[in-house]
Amino acid sequence: METLLTAIAGALLLAVKLTLIVVPLVMLFELLRHLAVFRRSGRKVEPLMRGMGLTPAAAVPLFTGIFLGIAYGAGIIIKVAREKRLPPRELFLMGLFLATCHAVVEDTLIFVAIGGNGWQMLGIRIVLAIVMTWLLARFWNRPGRKTASPVDGPTSLPERD
Amino acid sequence: MSEPTLESLVPDIPTRLKTGFFDGLQTTWKLVKYVIPLYILVELLKGTSYLATFGDLFAPAMRLFGLPGEAAMAFLAGFTLNLYAAIAILVPLQLEPWQVTQCGLMMGIAHNLLLEGGVLRSTGARAWLITLARLLIAILAGLLFAAWRALGGG
Repeated sequence: METLLTAIAGALLLAVKLTLIVVPLVMLFELLRHLAVFRRSGRKVEPLMRGMGLTPAAAVPLFTGIFLGIAYGAGIIIKVAREKRLPPRELFLMGLFLATCHAVVEDTLIFVAIGGNGWQMLGIRIVLAIVMTWLLARFWNRPGRKTASPVDGPTSLPERD
Repeated sequence: MSEPTLESLVPDIPTRLKTGFFDGLQTTWKLVKYVIPLYILVELLKGTSYLATFGDLFAPAMRLFGLPGEAAMAFLAGFTLNLYAAIAILVPLQLEPWQVTQCGLMMGIAHNLLLEGGVLRSTGARAWLITLARLLIAILAGLLFAAWRALGGG
């Protein structure tokens, strides 16, 4: 019984602690994200995106995924990918990047709240995502070749996963 | 100033603070929903032999990443459920800060695989391939970070 009470007290204390850490962190992010520096950085990443086999058309879904995550960003990612007719190769490269590096703000903040090092988590994920997407883009440089495409239209995917 | 410019679309500071406050509360609520029940469960399991047995089972694999065997439980929760559940399990394990970073790094890459796999499939991507890639990339990142740590970094 005493163990149970200690556990409940510990859980409540943790809940309070998380609130006190997470709320100010998210407020700080909300304050900073509108700064002109961040809005202007969009143009600066263009050469980097080109190196990863991505065109400017992929910028909106890419950044949506990076910040919002796959589940929340899915609506925008699907919509833009269809409207801009991103080719399968580019969709896959974007998918690989986002697999490694998505929802970076919230996911990082909650681990910072329990004592992790956010810069290390973020830094390693970004570097890994860039290096791997760049490598794949280099090795897989035949956009027209359908047979080698790891991405198909939804209709050709009746299979299980 | 008569035309709407990009600047005018940026909310003012009080609005931003308010948005941040409510977004923060929302994130906290998502965390707390999992943290309270799972934290209590793990605290209670710590008093039994179950957690130790489970930990011993996974210890050899988790050692590669510099983590205790018990952390495997957080990984299972993170892969199938989400990061909030994983965090709820991690905290009672009282890991070192760098081990928390390791978990955040690996789980940040591979988490919520069932739900996000479904979302990916609806974009037309081969979800199983991306899910497999996420698991492999998480393992790679974990090994790299553990190696970096062993070499004196971090």
